[in-house]
Amino acid sequence: MKILSLKSLLALLSLACVLCQSAGAADGRLDIPDFRALEDKASEYVTVTLDAPLLKLATGFLDAQKAEDRAVKEMVEGLTGVYVKSFTFDSDFVYAKADVDRVRKQLTTPGWQRLVEVRSRKEQTDLDVYISMNQGKANGLAIIASEPRELTIVNIVGPVDLEKLHRLEGRLGVPKLQIDVQAGAAKGVD
Amino acid sequence: MSRDLEDQLRQALRPVDPDEEFAQRVMRRIESERAPPRRSQTRRLQWWHVAVAASAVLTLIVVHDWQTRREQQGLEARRQLIEALRLTGEKLDIAYQVVNEDDA
Repeated sequence: MKILSLKSLLALLSLACVLCQSAGAADGRLDIPDFRALEDKASEYVTVTLDAPLLKLATGFLDAQKAEDRAVKEMVEGLTGVYVKSFTFDSDFVYAKADVDRVRKQLTTPGWQRLVEVRSRKEQTDLDVYISMNQGKANGLAIIASEPRELTIVNIVGPVDLEKLHRLEGRLGVPKLQIDVQAGAAKGVD
Repeated sequence: MSRDLEDQLRQALRPVDPDEEFAQRVMRRIESERAPPRRSQTRRLQWWHVAVAASAVLTLIVVHDWQTRREQQGLEARRQLIEALRLTGEKLDIAYQVVNEDDA
């Protein structure tokens, strides 16, 4: 299993910001296959396709009286797309690895920087977290998580703000990341 | 006798000049026969009112339907957004836990 420490990741992210200023920048958007065939084979699946107009519509239905909804609204502000494909199966590896690799390949284009790579041979689990940078600012987040009976691809397009994500701590099942974005340091969870 | 009969027929069938108002009477009669009776005019006005009212009701139904659909669409988009953020958090949590274990 190949893992980078969080401090290393943040340092890499800072370096990536400098490098990407002169490099070609990704627009933060992935071309995710519709995986229609997998929907028939999955015991459960989640498909989210929210472009800018639908995001605006969704935020209009967030309750300003609820702290949770206010936090979501802050998080979503400025985003231009939220796309998710997640499948759960009753048997192992119903999905084709080639389909997942095709999505991963898009993340090798300039602008995308890998933040986290998790490989578990024992559990046959892969997890990649990428961020897209353009002129020193994040404009996309991509997560590809593959397990024997689960496949999840997440793409958030727009100015993904780690600080706002940080404010979602403890809500919606978002973990307490405790990432001090300004100081660039990471703390452990007690 | 036949001569008397002929004279009577000539007298009865002799051309008579109409008076000056004859033409006017004929035209008035023609106009009155052309003009629709008041009863059908009233019926047309009633139909027009019904058509306007029906259009207004139909417009209200369409607008209400559009608003209802919009609300449903918005609530569904909100649900999807929250589900997407929940899934994102779940995967980031895995990444965080692995990184944290490594740091420990």
